[in-house]
Amino acid sequence: MMELLAQTGLNAVYAASYISLVAVGLVLIFGVMGVVNFAHGELFMAGAYAIVALYADMHLPFFIAVPIGMLFVGLLGLVMEWGLFRPLKDNPLGGLVASIGFLMILQSLAVMGFGVRMEHIPPVTQEVVRFTDKVGLPVARLYVIVAAVVLLGALWYFLKRTRFGWALRASAQDPEAAALQGISITQTARIAMFIGAALAGVAGALTAPLVSVNPHMGHSVIVTAFIVIIVGGVGSLEGAIVASVVYAFVHTFVTTFWDGVLADIVGLMLMLVVLIVKPTGLFGSADRA
Amino acid sequence: MLLEMRKIAVNYGKINAVRDISIAVPQGKIVTIIGGNGAGKTTTLRAMSGMVPIARGEILFEGQRIDHLPAHKIVAHGIAHVPEGRRIFPDMTVEENLRTGAFLRRDTAGIETDLDGVYDRFPRLRERRSQRAQTMSGGEQQMLAIGRALMSKPRLLLMDEPSMGLAPVIVEEIARIIEEINAQGLSVVLVEQNAELALELADHAYVLETGNTAMEGPAHELRGNEHVRAAYLGL
Repeated sequence: MMELLAQTGLNAVYAASYISLVAVGLVLIFGVMGVVNFAHGELFMAGAYAIVALYADMHLPFFIAVPIGMLFVGLLGLVMEWGLFRPLKDNPLGGLVASIGFLMILQSLAVMGFGVRMEHIPPVTQEVVRFTDKVGLPVARLYVIVAAVVLLGALWYFLKRTRFGWALRASAQDPEAAALQGISITQTARIAMFIGAALAGVAGALTAPLVSVNPHMGHSVIVTAFIVIIVGGVGSLEGAIVASVVYAFVHTFVTTFWDGVLADIVGLMLMLVVLIVKPTGLFGSADRA
Repeated sequence: MLLEMRKIAVNYGKINAVRDISIAVPQGKIVTIIGGNGAGKTTTLRAMSGMVPIARGEILFEGQRIDHLPAHKIVAHGIAHVPEGRRIFPDMTVEENLRTGAFLRRDTAGIETDLDGVYDRFPRLRERRSQRAQTMSGGEQQMLAIGRALMSKPRLLLMDEPSMGLAPVIVEEIARIIEEINAQGLSVVLVEQNAELALELADHAYVLETGNTAMEGPAHELRGNEHVRAAYLGL
């Protein structure tokens, strides 16, 4: 029993890692640009397909394919900022609708380019870090955990310690006051969109060999990410990370000990309970909501 | 003239917030803009810092047209704006707020010197440097907003209702600070509901009514004016 608990805990840490990468990007984009990016799950999907193309089909080394995929999805984010969100910047609802349209375009492109079938990706490594006979962490999952810790750490450093990080936070808290300090809101929006998209992309790229890659894989990811950012408090990066961990643990444990459908229900119940007890989310403040 | 606004108009959709206003700010002086609600004071100030586009007229700063520039470019020219309601960054610390004010500057040593200068001017901000800005009182937030504006090393400071919502003691303190800053050579445009305070501080005053300049002149003269006394000073 102890071993099953430990193993499930490791699985939950893995799930928390990629969920938080996706959710933090979504929060960053919402915070700085004030727009809900419905296409965020498809950016995750695009990251996974980058691995299909570069690693499975073109046989590039995995650790070269991942950064290229991350960069590619980051650039997709820049395209969205330029083509959708900037022209619609005075219309957050328009931005949301446009992102739904973009989501469908990305899905269709994936279908046209790769077909609707699930992609087979050869495993990156079969190695497993063994703690006991029955408790082990596949190295491929360890990569995701390490990447999440490193990238979120780097993001934290960027936001708290650098000039452009301050500019980003200032734009998220009060765009007009930020402009009065000489900060270009267009530029901070561009940076936020690039980082947010790239984080979703790298999550998709790293998990691609571990999940079933198909054009509609973004759907469950975006639903999870929405639950997580609502639980964490819309607009709070710390909240998104904490809620990712909470959600991943609850979901993984319920899946393991009962079943997956029940886990989805419990996840939504978790959101409802948080909204009833603290309507602004765990880390949200009233004035941001 | 440091700043010259010539016959500007600003529209919000079909509403003419500012119809025809000309304002001149001489180097080293305090110029105040007073008037009732909806007279166009804030809009005039926002036009100076590029927060709203002007429909007509021109704005010159140190002889250069700036009226076509977005707000974040105007800061670089040397105009800092302390907005109505202070608008500090609530989730950032006091020091982060101040450093954000120096966003465009690259002279690291100069930034540290000026940060020290702001802390010397506002000792309370030094005490609270690592506190989140939203946890401070209204007066402290106003001081932070002024300090943040000073961090850009401006040659012209625009202040919108710095006395709003503050206790009389704090208003006195803010007034002293404005005089002090001005005495050190910084030119100021002060928008105020509190006409008494504004006319006391300013060298020159403009009285706005429904988007037009109703009156202008040396502040001490307007203080003696019958209409101003009746309409704005409640005397």
